[in-house]
Amino acid sequence: MLKPALNHLRTLPRDSRDTLFMLAVIAWVLLPQVDHLPLWCSALAAVVLLWRGWLAVKVQPLPSRWWLLGLLLLTVTATYLTHKTLFGRDAGVTLIAVLLALKTLELRAKRDAFVVFFLGFFMMLTNFFFSQSLLTAAAMLVALLGLLTALVNAHMPVGKPPLLQAAKTAGGMALLGAPIMAVLFVLFPRMAPLWGMPGDAMSGRSGLSATMQVGTIARLALDDSIAMRIRFEGVPPAQSDLYFRGPVLSTFDGRDWLPLHSGFPPRMQPPANLQVKGPAVNYQVTLEPSNHPWLMVLDATQAKPTLIGFEARMTNELQWVTDRPVTDLVRYTAQSYPDFSQGPLRPMAGLQDYLDLPAGFNPRTLQLAAELRRDPRHANADGALWVSTVMERLRSGGYSYTLDPGVYGRHSADEFWFDRQEGFCEHIASSFVILMRALDVPARVVTGYQGGETNAVDGFWTVRQSDAHAWAEVWLAGRGWVRVDPTSAVAPGRVGSLQRLQAPRGLIASALLGNVSPALALNLRALWDAINNSWNQRVLNYTQGKQLKLLQNLGFESPSWEDLVTLLIGIVVAVSLAGAGWTLWERQRQDPWLRLLDLARARLQKAGVKLSPTSPPRDMAEQVRQQRPPGQANDQALCDWLLRLEAQRYAPPTAHTVRLSTLKRELNQLIWPK
Amino acid sequence: MSTGRLRQRFQRWFEARLPQSDVITLTQRNVYILPTRPGFMLGATLLVLLVAAINYQLNLGYLLTFLLAGSAVVGMHVCHGTLRGLTMHLIAPPAQYTGASAVLTINILSQRRSIRHGIGLAVLGSGHWVWTDVPSQGSASVQVAFKPARRGLHQVPTLTAETRFPMGTFRVWTVWRPAAQVLVYPAPEPMAPPLPPGEASAGGAATLAQPHASGEHDGVRAYRRGDPMKLIVWKKAAKSNELVSRDAQQAQRHELWLDAHQCGTADPEKQLSRLCAWVLLADQRGLDYGLRLSGLEIKPGGGEAHKQRCLQALALH
Repeated sequence: MLKPALNHLRTLPRDSRDTLFMLAVIAWVLLPQVDHLPLWCSALAAVVLLWRGWLAVKVQPLPSRWWLLGLLLLTVTATYLTHKTLFGRDAGVTLIAVLLALKTLELRAKRDAFVVFFLGFFMMLTNFFFSQSLLTAAAMLVALLGLLTALVNAHMPVGKPPLLQAAKTAGGMALLGAPIMAVLFVLFPRMAPLWGMPGDAMSGRSGLSATMQVGTIARLALDDSIAMRIRFEGVPPAQSDLYFRGPVLSTFDGRDWLPLHSGFPPRMQPPANLQVKGPAVNYQVTLEPSNHPWLMVLDATQAKPTLIGFEARMTNELQWVTDRPVTDLVRYTAQSYPDFSQGPLRPMAGLQDYLDLPAGFNPRTLQLAAELRRDPRHANADGALWVSTVMERLRSGGYSYTLDPGVYGRHSADEFWFDRQEGFCEHIASSFVILMRALDVPARVVTGYQGGETNAVDGFWTVRQSDAHAWAEVWLAGRGWVRVDPTSAVAPGRVGSLQRLQAPRGLIASALLGNVSPALALNLRALWDAINNSWNQRVLNYTQGKQLKLLQNLGFESPSWEDLVTLLIGIVVAVSLAGAGWTLWERQRQDPWLRLLDLARARLQKAGVKLSPTSPPRDMAEQVRQQRPPGQANDQALCDWLLRLEAQRYAPPTAHTVRLSTLKRELNQLIWPK
Repeated sequence: MSTGRLRQRFQRWFEARLPQSDVITLTQRNVYILPTRPGFMLGATLLVLLVAAINYQLNLGYLLTFLLAGSAVVGMHVCHGTLRGLTMHLIAPPAQYTGASAVLTINILSQRRSIRHGIGLAVLGSGHWVWTDVPSQGSASVQVAFKPARRGLHQVPTLTAETRFPMGTFRVWTVWRPAAQVLVYPAPEPMAPPLPPGEASAGGAATLAQPHASGEHDGVRAYRRGDPMKLIVWKKAAKSNELVSRDAQQAQRHELWLDAHQCGTADPEKQLSRLCAWVLLADQRGLDYGLRLSGLEIKPGGGEAHKQRCLQALALH
C-alpha cells in the first residue's frame, strides 16, 4: 500500500513534486501555530493545503479566482468576528496563516511563488511571538532551510533535479550566511520598539496575573514552563525562605482579589516602612517575559534591583514594579534580606482597607468568626492568637491540599472551610484572609513564587510557573505586616521541599517517559534546562547592555550605539576590501607561462605587429619575421626568445630546459621594437 | 530626447565598445549583476522582519532576519559565480536563406568542480531563452536561433547569457558580441515560374568540351507533353521526382543562363528571389547554368561549389 504510493510520488511530474514539497514546508511552518490560531483557521489552512496537494498529485487545474476571492472574503469576515478587529498581532497572524495557505491555490506566475516564500518567512517570525525556545528555533531553522530549498529548486529550470541537490545548495548558503548572521546579531544596535505594540502582544504567555480568581493559580500550577532563573552569590537561602514577591492583592469583591483600591488619600495609607536586619542575599535573576510590569525579587528587597532599560520602584506593599511591562527576557541583580519587618507598627486609618469584606458573601465564615470571638477562651485574643488559632484549625481540621479542587461557587471561603475542605494555595490563602478580616485582623493576599529547584548541571536556581504560590500577610500591632503561609499548615510538603505535587502526565509524556527511571528523567530534565538556560542567557538575553559590554571588552572606552554602527560598517568595509583583494589575486593567478606570452604579445602588438589573440609563440615569431623589416638583430633575439618559451612548455624536459623565471628576466632585458 | 531613445543610444554605445570574439571567458569584468524585482521584495521582507523583531523585541526574530539576509548575500555570490569562469564558444553558423532561422550553436565550458545550474542564453533583446545546466568540469551545448531580416553577410547578433540561480533575487548577465558572420541568401521564391529557355551558345564548343561526370553527353530539358518514353532520363527522374527528357540537340546549341533581366520583374529583391529559386531548381535537376547579374557574370557550371558561388553572389549582390 505504501510502496505503490511512494512509487507514484517518484513518478510525479516535476511541477507536482515541487508543489508537494512546498506544501509540506508550509505545513511545517504553520504547525507550531495550531495552538494559537482559532480552530477555524487551522482547519481551513489544513483543508486548503490538502486540496492543493490533491490537485498536484492528480495534476489537475487550479480552481478559479472566484473560489479564492470567496475564501478570502470568508476569512476576513471570520477573522473580524474572532478577533473583533483586523489589526493587532493575533488578527494579523490569523490572516497571514490563511493567506499563506490560500496563496498556494494561486501559483500561476513566478511572482505568486515568491509571495508564498515571503509570507512563509513572516509566518516563521510570528512563531516567535509565542515561544523563543531552543525547540522553536530548531523547528524554524528546518523551516528556513525548507523554504530556501524550495526557492533554489524553483530556480533550476532544467529537467527534474533531485531535491537533495537544491537542499545542498540551500544548506551551503545558510551555512555561509551564518557568520554574517552572527556578526549582525552581535553588532546590530538593539533599540527600543519603534512604535507601540498592539495591546494583545503578550497574551500568549502565561504567568501570574494582576488579579486572582479562585481557580486561576491552580491552572498555572500545571504549567511547567520556567518563570525565572536565579544565580545566587554564595549559598542560597533555605528553600522555605524563598518567597518571590509578586502582586499583593488587598481588595476583595466577593469573587476576585484585586490590588488595593483604597478610598483613603495616600498619606493615610500604611507606608512600607521596611526595616532589614541580618545578612543580605545577593543574586542575579533572569526573568522570562511576563508582559507585566513586575520584577520578581525575594522578600524583602530594599535597594532598587539594577537592570538596564527600566525604571523600577517599590510600592507601599513591597512589590517592585517597572515603568513598562517586561516583554523580553530581562536580567537584573538584587539584594534581599530574608530577615525584615515592614508596615506601620501602630494602628492607622488606612489599615481599615485590609478589613473590608463585601456584603452578601461567605455568611458561614462570618458566622464562624463571630462564634470564635464569642468563645470565652478568646476573650483577650489579639492578632497573633487569632493567627495561631486559625492555623491550628487548618492543621487539625481535616483540610487537605489538592491540585484539582474543582470549581468553587459563590461563597468560596464557606466552601473551603465547611464543604470541600480541600484546595490549592490560593483557596487556602483567600479563605484564610477572609476569616482573618472577619476576626478584625488586617490581612492581605500576596502572590508570587515560592521555592524552586537547583539545576545540578549549571548551578542555576530554576523557578517554574508551577511554583506560583499565594500566601497571606496579617498586620499585628507592634510588629507590622507578618507573613503567614496557611498552605504550610495544610500541606507542609508544599512549602520548602523539593517534593512537589506531580501534575498528571499527558498521554504522550507518559508514553515517552513511562519506562525511564525518575532519577534519569530528572537528570535529563536538568540537562535540558541547562541547555535552555544557556540559550536564554546567550541568545535571548542578548541586550543592548551586553552589546555595550562587548564593545568595552573590545577596547571602546565609553561605548555607545554609534560605536556599534561604526564597528559594523568597519567590518563591512574590511570584508569588501578583502574580497576585492582576493579577486585581484585570483585574476592574477593566470598561468605564469600564459602571462609571459600575453606580455610578449602585447608588446609586439604595440609595435604594430598584427597578431591573433590565440597565436602560439612559434607563430608569433613567424609573424615578426614576416612583418618586420629583415636583418634586425633585436628581432632575431626576440624570435629566439619566443622559441625558447615554446620549448619551455612543450619540449621534453632536459638538462637545458630554461626556467620560467629566467625567461621572465630575459623578457625584460630584450629590446622590444617601438 | 525620450528615455526610450536615450536607452537605445546607450545600448548601441555599450554594445559597440564590447570586443568581438567567438570565444568569451566570463570574468568579473564582463559579468554584470543587479537585483531583480523579487530581490527588492526580499529586501522589503527583510525590512519588515527587522521592524517586527525590533518592535516585539524578539531576539530570535533578529536571528531569523539576519540568517535570511546572510543567505541572500551568499546567494548573490553564488549567482555571480554561476556565470563567472564560464567559457563560451560560438560555432560558426552555416549559410541560411532569408526567412529561415539561423541556428547558432554555443558550447559552454565549465572548469568548476560543481554543477552550474540554470544558465539561459538568448539573442539580446529577443526574449527567447534557452536554459541549460553545465556539468562539473564539462561542457553543455546550446542552440539559439535568430531570423536574419534580409539577405547579405550578417554579423551574428549580440548574445546574452543570464542566470538567476539560486534565489532569483539577483540577475547576473553578460553581453557577448561574437565575431562570426552568417551569410544569408535571398529567400527562394516559393512558386517560381519554370526555368527560362536556354540561349544559343556563343561558342557552342565550350559546353561540349565539358562532359558530365556521368558521361552523359546529351543535354536535358524538362519533360514536355508528347516526349517519347525513351527520351526520358529515368536516372534523373528518380533523383528529382520530375520527369526530364533528353535534349541532345539543345545541349549542343543552348546554354541555360539565369539572367536578372529574364525575371520579368523590376524589383531587384524579387529578381534575386526568383534567381535563387531557379538556381536551386537547376541544381536539383542537375542542369548546368550560368548566372548573370548587373555587373556580374558567372559562367555556366554545375555542382555544389558552383551553386554556393551563385547563391553567395545573389546574397551579396
